Amino acid sequence: MDLSDFEADNSVSCRLSSSIPDVCKTEDCCLGIDEAGRGPVLGPMVYGICFCPVSRKEDLKNLKVADSKTLTEAERENLFVKLDEAKSFVGWALQILSPNMISTSMLQRAKYNLNALSHDAAIGLVQYALDSGVQLKEVFVDTVGPAEKYQDKLSQRFPGVEVTVRPKADSLFPIVSAASICAKVARDHAVKSWKFAEDLGDVDTDYGSGYPNDPKTKSWLLKYLDPVFGYPQFVRFSWSTAQTLLDSKAVTVHWDDDEEDGEKAAARQNNTSVLSYFSRNKPSELTHTRDIHRFFTERKLKSINTL
Amino acid sequence: MTSKKKRSAHTESDSWVVIAPDSALDTGRSVDSDPSFIKLKNPSTGSSSLYLFGCGDLSVYEVKAFSEDFRSWFIGQTVQRDGRLLYVTPMDPLFLLLPYISSVGKEGKFQSVKQMVMDEDYPGCSRLLQCKQGLDSLHHVADEKEVNDQKYHKYNLEKTLEWLKKKVQRTVNALKKGNISVGGGVKSSTFVRVKHEDASEEDYLRYAHGLISEYISEDLSKDLLKHLELPEISSPKEAEPPSKKRKLSDKPVEAGEDYTKFNSADFARKPPKKMTAAQKSLAKADKTGMKSLASFFSPKVKQEKN
Repeated sequence: MDLSDFEADNSVSCRLSSSIPDVCKTEDCCLGIDEAGRGPVLGPMVYGICFCPVSRKEDLKNLKVADSKTLTEAERENLFVKLDEAKSFVGWALQILSPNMISTSMLQRAKYNLNALSHDAAIGLVQYALDSGVQLKEVFVDTVGPAEKYQDKLSQRFPGVEVTVRPKADSLFPIVSAASICAKVARDHAVKSWKFAEDLGDVDTDYGSGYPNDPKTKSWLLKYLDPVFGYPQFVRFSWSTAQTLLDSKAVTVHWDDDEEDGEKAAARQNNTSVLSYFSRNKPSELTHTRDIHRFFTERKLKSINTL
Repeated sequence: MTSKKKRSAHTESDSWVVIAPDSALDTGRSVDSDPSFIKLKNPSTGSSSLYLFGCGDLSVYEVKAFSEDFRSWFIGQTVQRDGRLLYVTPMDPLFLLLPYISSVGKEGKFQSVKQMVMDEDYPGCSRLLQCKQGLDSLHHVADEKEVNDQKYHKYNLEKTLEWLKKKVQRTVNALKKGNISVGGGVKSSTFVRVKHEDASEEDYLRYAHGLISEYISEDLSKDLLKHLELPEISSPKEAEPPSKKRKLSDKPVEAGEDYTKFNSADFARKPPKKMTAAQKSLAKADKTGMKSLASFFSPKVKQEKN
């Protein structure tokens, strides 16, 4: 698998795809969606789609694609090669969501949660297939959590396509298994050959599975924790594992959308809380100083008496 | 995800980010006259503020800090917690001299500036006497007399107001030139007028007066307002309702409604000491056959069956 497009800038979302088999543009097709790397605190999350004509489902079965979780890494690699060789009737596309993109989405002011992010990635890939002229009739999706809601969302978004959202779809439908293999292989490659944007010298790549409960992952996180910057972009900052470590080990950083109590925040900001206006005794600075002219207050300018 | 974080006390940093005119930073001819920050009495608030004397104390600059919450600097390879941006801007030294001259002026005597500009709390103020611009413009705020080549001054309010009026007028010009919105309704953080604002001349004058007032005492600011023939706007502070006075008593302060005391065994209902006329007439009323209001709230007592 050629990941060079993603590696050129691994801080954003990247789409990789095979060529579209001609047969897919003329015959009714089925499409499977699956993801890899939803849970880890390290590395990208990869969404994969695989599609083939409905009439060729049996051929796909003969490739012996199975749920990627039941396969060893080597078996997955082999199967991916087989899938790629079957390019006369099988097409695939991947959306690699970089850890940085996951962090910034989930931690931005208007929160964009992981489910929404996942759904949008899936929708984007289906739309890509449609835009490329694939004659989509059936879509199979593996889900985590309530399948019905997701199915409604996708059905509404793609009228005329029969959407089936099913837990464990990756072991039920060969086309979803194929998608899961593509996604998993891409994720393995991306993690293994991760190019750190940060200058970390010789990076210790022994970070285990990348899952939060892996002790190796945890000790790696501790090792690469910078008191000011936190982690390299390889880490999903929005994961509670990462945040807990940052809270206890790194320098405290305050953002202006941090929640704080009114009175306390006011005291810290050196201004007067609204509450104090209702108390009998006004803070002394309110009673005998003139208001600073709005020219200065509007521009946040103050006289100072110490440097 | 976001937990409440404790904020440690501000630590003094040893560097600042400053914007200053070249003239202020011009290090000079002799070693002991480098530009230096110094605390002086703020002519408006009377408390201490930071100023900067240029090389050789020939000029004085005020120091204002742009400071907003949640700001830090990345400077080179370091992080600075304090996200302030300091502005060092030239200042007319006469504003700083004025409080000293006007306070002596009440005695009605001619005095030398050296005698007038003395301050135990702010010994740095004597350096103002090096600022040529300040000394040369003393005649704007004071009458002058020259005896034996020695100049003596006496504060003159009329002159001062006339000088300040000119300042206001120049500020108005600067405000117009700088396209600064002075209208009351405009509160945009960008300070850029969307539409042409029809600010009246009075808006400009008032705004400029407010700005100049940041550099003079409150009394002088009021005098200047009159001198500019601007009516005083009643301050919202006066519109406040009078505060209720709590009666003082020798008894220890008790909460108005302390229900815990009803639980104590020694609680006994005391008759009210004084009754109003209405209460008295009510007390005289025939209450036979009437339940007391309190009984409705007491726990139900099982009536004995006969």
